[in-house]
Amino acid sequence: MGLDRRGFIHLIVGGAVGTLFTPIPWKFADDLSIWTQNWPWIPRLKHGEEARTATISKMCAAGCAVNIRTVGGRPVAAEGNPNNVLSQGGLCPLCAAGVQMMYSPSRLPGPMKRENDSFKQITWDEAAALLADKLNATVGKDGKLAMISGDESGTINEVLSGFAAALGATDYYLMPGDGQTSSRVWTGLMGGEGQIGFDLENADLTLFIGADALESWGPTVRNQKAFSASRPGGEKPKASYIYAGPVQTRTAAVSDAWVPVLPEGLASFTLGLCYFLVKNGASVDTRDFDSFKNLVMSHYTPDKVEKLVGLKPDTLQDLSRKLAQAKRPLVVVGSEFGQGGGQALQAAGAALNLLMGRLNQPGGMIAMPEAPKVVDAALDRKDLLAKDLVSYLMNMEKGRAATPDVLMVYEANPVYALPQSEAMAKALAKIPFKVSFSTYMDETAALCDLLLPTPHSLERFDDVYTPHGLGFSAWALAKPVSKPACDNLNSADFTLKLAKAMNIDLGFEDFESVLQAKAEQLGAMGGFFADEAAPWDVRSGAASAEAASDVWDGAQEGKAWCSVATVDQRALRLGAEVLAKAAQPSPDVSYPLSVSPTLQLNVGSQKVATPPQNLTTIRNTELRGKASFVQVCGQTAGKYGLSEGAMVKLTGPRGECAAKVHITERVMPGVVEAPLGFGHSAWDAYTRGKGDNTYKILSVTTEPGTGETVWTGSKVKIAKI
Amino acid sequence: MKEMQIVRQSGGALAFLAGVLAALVIGWWIFPQVLFSKQEQPIRFSHQVHVVGQDMACDDCHFYREDGSFAGLPTNEKCGECHEDVMGEDPAEEKYVTEYYQEGKEVPWLIYQYQPDNVYFSHNAHQQYDCTECHPNLADNDSPPPYYRNRISGYSKDTMKMWRCERCHAQNHVSNACYVCHK
Amino acid sequence: MTHHEFKVKWGMVIDLDKCTGCGACMVACQVENNVAPMNDASNKLRTLTWMLVYELSNHKDFPEHETAFLPRPCMQCGAPSCVPVCPVVATDKNEEGGIVSQIYPRCIGCRYCMAACPYHARYFNWLDPVFPKGMDKTLTPEVSPRPRGVVEKCSFCHTRLNNARQRARAEDVDPLDFPVEWYQPACAEACPTGAITFGDLNNPKHEVNRLIKSPYAFRLLERLGTDPQVYYMSRRDWVRYQGDNHLAHEKH
Repeated sequence: MGLDRRGFIHLIVGGAVGTLFTPIPWKFADDLSIWTQNWPWIPRLKHGEEARTATISKMCAAGCAVNIRTVGGRPVAAEGNPNNVLSQGGLCPLCAAGVQMMYSPSRLPGPMKRENDSFKQITWDEAAALLADKLNATVGKDGKLAMISGDESGTINEVLSGFAAALGATDYYLMPGDGQTSSRVWTGLMGGEGQIGFDLENADLTLFIGADALESWGPTVRNQKAFSASRPGGEKPKASYIYAGPVQTRTAAVSDAWVPVLPEGLASFTLGLCYFLVKNGASVDTRDFDSFKNLVMSHYTPDKVEKLVGLKPDTLQDLSRKLAQAKRPLVVVGSEFGQGGGQALQAAGAALNLLMGRLNQPGGMIAMPEAPKVVDAALDRKDLLAKDLVSYLMNMEKGRAATPDVLMVYEANPVYALPQSEAMAKALAKIPFKVSFSTYMDETAALCDLLLPTPHSLERFDDVYTPHGLGFSAWALAKPVSKPACDNLNSADFTLKLAKAMNIDLGFEDFESVLQAKAEQLGAMGGFFADEAAPWDVRSGAASAEAASDVWDGAQEGKAWCSVATVDQRALRLGAEVLAKAAQPSPDVSYPLSVSPTLQLNVGSQKVATPPQNLTTIRNTELRGKASFVQVCGQTAGKYGLSEGAMVKLTGPRGECAAKVHITERVMPGVVEAPLGFGHSAWDAYTRGKGDNTYKILSVTTEPGTGETVWTGSKVKIAKI
Repeated sequence: MKEMQIVRQSGGALAFLAGVLAALVIGWWIFPQVLFSKQEQPIRFSHQVHVVGQDMACDDCHFYREDGSFAGLPTNEKCGECHEDVMGEDPAEEKYVTEYYQEGKEVPWLIYQYQPDNVYFSHNAHQQYDCTECHPNLADNDSPPPYYRNRISGYSKDTMKMWRCERCHAQNHVSNACYVCHK
Repeated sequence: MTHHEFKVKWGMVIDLDKCTGCGACMVACQVENNVAPMNDASNKLRTLTWMLVYELSNHKDFPEHETAFLPRPCMQCGAPSCVPVCPVVATDKNEEGGIVSQIYPRCIGCRYCMAACPYHARYFNWLDPVFPKGMDKTLTPEVSPRPRGVVEKCSFCHTRLNNARQRARAEDVDPLDFPVEWYQPACAEACPTGAITFGDLNNPKHEVNRLIKSPYAFRLLERLGTDPQVYYMSRRDWVRYQGDNHLAHEKH
């Protein structure tokens, strides 16, 4: 009996019916649906024991005190460290993505040297030999070796500058910042001693002039914490804040008032406030007070200030009244983007605080002892801060200074982040042998001949000593949370090793012992751990703290060493003669608009481009596709015939850049707000080619009287394209 | 002609029944065997040697951490406390020490009770139950049982399905809200 | 819409007078919840921002202009608009604490919930999550990565709540009333100005319980009746006024 067609069909139907009584269809459908939930290309989670390691994340300039969360030893996320006074549990948007930046696509895999237009990976020994060779040729010839550091507060500067000094080089520069200007003014122009800081926590009225302190100026997170503590939710504010500057910045947005002042008029505005104080009888016990008094009474009367900065005399008087009425007023001055602000503004700000009697007072301007040093050969902090990179490079560009043979760059991106950046890049390119210690392929690394990547800040020993703006001395330690994800070597360790190979004795074998020595030195200075008592409470007398016994142990636990010691001043000046020349802005008709660059930490810092995670935080009125935006108010837009979204070219005396226009009333008339942090040409696909670099249109002028290089209030013209 | 028809009809019914039977055999006997691939653990780990031989307690390795989370299977950190170097004759131990521990590699153990990433399970919420209510009892086991992996879904054969979680929660009047178990 | 009540109601009070719009909350949120970075994040139709900081303007000309920033997580509404429209019950509000759940493997990507949500708090995965090489090592174990084709939203970092309950059990504390520091979402924890206060709205021991009674507290689009568990605070009248829609004749 064979199986005919009909029988076959019966068999199949029987099979089909039978199948319904088996698990096949149900199990199959179930498993298939599970299969669709687990595509192999979707990353899987890894579990493990959770732990937290306290360290310092140095993605932002000031550094955030963080607890790094690890899962099975893998770092996964950064959290603020509530036990460390530098950030008190808060986190800036850059450091929030710090762990992820360990795996940035821009990260350099290991030491590399340039071969024509590309880089070839080499070993650390080869790299050291190559560099030693180049350095040996410069020994004893000053001007042949230059170094640039982008870390204003780290002890690594002692190692690097000590090494430079041992090689006979004096050209050691920091990337420009308000901390340097402040130091030059206080210890130079004004004849003061120590480092200037601001006791925000105890002030009941803070006037920020220029300084975007709640966004990117100074130790941002600490500033924000001080602000936060004075504004308890649902209760009456304990302190008020006023922001004066050309743009309603993020600081201005949460302040009680915004006083619009042109960027080039900030110093005049500050002296205009001094006028009222002096008029009401305030004085400072300095030799040149009389000439200062003459200066403000004759040149900074409300009428004259109105002419200079466009501010109504009433507003100025009202503001001065508020300062007079406050119990503990404080004035904090700075450039809107933390650099290039000139000495006049700093001097005027200091004078205003002095006139209010706020020096070394709780909630006032504090003169703190100068940072100690452990590497004998290193530059003293004051001397380090006195050196001006921009003027050095400009002299080099113009042939007034010799071009060095070797340049070493640590944690800095001078090719991208200096004013008139194209000219600066050209000057740097002339140097025959350039070395970058950068962790990432930034614009400077891309131009260099030898790349010696230092580990990511969460993978190395490092430290922070009293970043500019802090109202107390503080030191915190960064220690490696995990092994470097790439073949990296701490630049300090590399330098110490190289020094040894070149028979230079810097007194230390490795960086950890340098930091240990620093801890010991601080321990001898007194001071306490801020988890015992907040330093501002100790300063105001609301709390007392016992001296820290073992600074190194405490620092490893993530505590910050603090001190509220102040320095008495012996021969203060107000710098009246210099101020008389410096503070006046000079109008330039060919470039009618002032640029006010904004530095927003979510977009990046001077040294770090936008982390991939941060791109979503950028509004589409700041960046859209490949175009970044500049912001102008309706009045300015009307004057130049600009409409929302129009493509424009901004031209300054030394460069130009393109952007779209966003019209917003956050910007005062006559000012273009331009974002910093866009227009990268190196880095990775997340940032490269997005927007244009505002640094290109910032033009450097020399401040009359002080000779300081200034690029706030840079002038541009705007045209549709 | 009539005979032929009868034969054909019965042949039809027979064929139908044969089809049903074949389907049942395939569905209940062959399909379950084909659906799962049989895999062995990367290391022949003997619970017997550790528990009976070395007198170790279960929670020496399977313990709760301070935060209440459950450590699950031990990692090299734990195993290495004893097995820093080869200490016995067993080739499985030698394999672990030389190929995993000393290489700094974790053993990719196959998890019988594997749950996907979207499941949140807290062992300490289920502490009143005996481990073996959900897990196979391996305490006296000398060589680990084979692991059956579903060829379609990729899950373990022993992966507990959601309905079982829900049934037990319902019976014990515990919330069956989505976020109690999902993430 | 059904109204859901619970003994514990996790909620936020966001003080808009403290928010500087820095974006730390957004970054911390993405890191915590394993949101993959996107190359062109300026296309806001594609980005996944469980927490999004809006910029508000009082719409006055210079110099009367004022700016405020408004961080917007999921409102975890008491009467959520998204829940009843979900055809597959992938989203629900059924748990003590009142957090609206979203179960990714169950979601079929129909996006009805996105259309229903008046706060634009829900996001659709148009793309698969792609992390730069090696960055997937930094995934937290807290949230499963979502494939293309499903909707996701803020969960108040729900796994942290589960972990806090676990800790409460380990330390013999009531899992419905543990110290508020044990459970803080990533955004609240990161916020450098302390603008975000988080806790159980019903628990008098928690700061939020006091803050929501402030005359300056308000909620977004309150008149829709969604009863959000996220409150805002501002002393500025115009900010509070913008919290809801108004007809032309309605005054400040």
